[in-house]
Amino acid sequence: MVSGAGKRFGGLEVFREISLEVGEREVLAIIGPSGCGKTTLLRCIDGLIPLTEGEIKVEGAPVVTPREGVAMVFQHFGLFPWKTVFQNVAYGLKLAGCSGAEIAEKIPNYINLVGLSGFEDYYPYQVSGGMQQRCGLARALSVEPRVLLMDEPFGAVDAQTREILQFELLRIWDMRPTTMVFVTHAIDEAVLMGDRVMVLKGRPSTVHELIEVDLPRPRDRATLSMPRFAELRERVWGTLMDDARRAEFEVKR
Amino acid sequence: MSGGQSILERPAAGFTLGARRLLASPLALKATAGIVLLGAWEGIVRALAPAYVAKPTGIARVFFTVIANEQFLAAAGATLGAVVKGLVIAIMLGTAIGLAMGRITVVERGLRYYVNSLFATPMIAVLPLVTLWFGYNADARLAVIVFAAFFSIAVNTCDGARSVPLEFLEVARSFRARPLSTLLDIVLPSSLPYLIAGMRLAAGRALVAAVVAEFFISIPGLGYYILFNSRTFKHNEAFVAVIALVAVGVSFEAMLNWVTRRYLPWARRD
Repeated sequence: MVSGAGKRFGGLEVFREISLEVGEREVLAIIGPSGCGKTTLLRCIDGLIPLTEGEIKVEGAPVVTPREGVAMVFQHFGLFPWKTVFQNVAYGLKLAGCSGAEIAEKIPNYINLVGLSGFEDYYPYQVSGGMQQRCGLARALSVEPRVLLMDEPFGAVDAQTREILQFELLRIWDMRPTTMVFVTHAIDEAVLMGDRVMVLKGRPSTVHELIEVDLPRPRDRATLSMPRFAELRERVWGTLMDDARRAEFEVKR
Repeated sequence: MSGGQSILERPAAGFTLGARRLLASPLALKATAGIVLLGAWEGIVRALAPAYVAKPTGIARVFFTVIANEQFLAAAGATLGAVVKGLVIAIMLGTAIGLAMGRITVVERGLRYYVNSLFATPMIAVLPLVTLWFGYNADARLAVIVFAAFFSIAVNTCDGARSVPLEFLEVARSFRARPLSTLLDIVLPSSLPYLIAGMRLAAGRALVAAVVAEFFISIPGLGYYILFNSRTFKHNEAFVAVIALVAVGVSFEAMLNWVTRRYLPWARRD
């Protein structure tokens, strides 16, 4: 899917030599310290920005601009404040050229799926952050993507809402499994969501480790208390924090 | 806390209580201030000025005769019609040019200095030139109104279109929106608060332009009505036309506020 990917902004090389492949209906979690370029990589996969080196292919075709069948959920939600919840969710289908009748038939299902029934006519500013991201998720799901790109989707909501949304997402994924690339900076989240966890590290960052997550699906709250979950969590933690600790205690002379 | 409350609850002497009530009620305060101002105007005019100078009682006496007067109504209709027509033209052109300037770098680079300079140009200064091009007629008035209103709308819309959050554009691109759809569905609504600010500014300028054009060109309208009546010592009648102009300005403002509240509830939040 991604081979030998590199990206630089002017003189700043963000990442280099990243190669990864995500199988059908597989969930790949990408984790790394802030500024490691995980969001940039995801934007490249979506075709929002071009790579400097290497190539990205989705379903065999090289990505140059955003493709049909790929949808993204943004950390900043990206809801349009002048559209209601319904209109925001319908945005993708409207652009895909669906008729009004089709939209009226399909959208309530997605609104229902993310648990926003009854809030169709509210504006984003009237609902909580968690509900806003549910709306963002419904908008991405509504175009029936085969690849779902999640850019720290729960990074901007509070800790409790975040947990609720994680299990909501797992529930939705179990109902309609799609290929998913899930970028996060939370270790628990990466292990909980991913079939594999990719750890990005270094400057420029590279793939430091690829950890297989052999936790059974469907996953739910009980998964968190499995001994295996704690083991994997520790493993990711160890890889990730090595440098962080070293950097923290580094004395500049 | 308890000390403060006891002070508040202590019954005050009659006069202080009355004054305090007055200060506490904005409506009563406004009304009182209005009566004092009108009283001062009436008093000073009666004491110092000739009989034909406008004063509140004089204006009140002629008010209903004037607003029922055919000539006055025709004048008000002409001015209002020209202002509305001019604003509609200015809004359509200004929005189109403003959006183009805000989103297309070439257009912005090419036009920015000219639009900003013309925005700063007092439209009264071009009035004599406009009359040369259009003649001493209603077209010249319309042209001056459009000239006065257009640039504030274009400049504001341009600012609005430039300040569309990048996140919105990113989402539009991610969902594979075509450029025209992004312009109409994302950039335009996102710029609407700026556009409305521009319209507010434009409405005031358009009204000034209409009145000044009528002064200068002498065509029927409220401006000319004021000029004519002032010159024939009917100051009270002239002042009714001034009140009409104020009413037009205030109602336009009220209308914009209503539209914002009703259709752009999201824009009122910071």
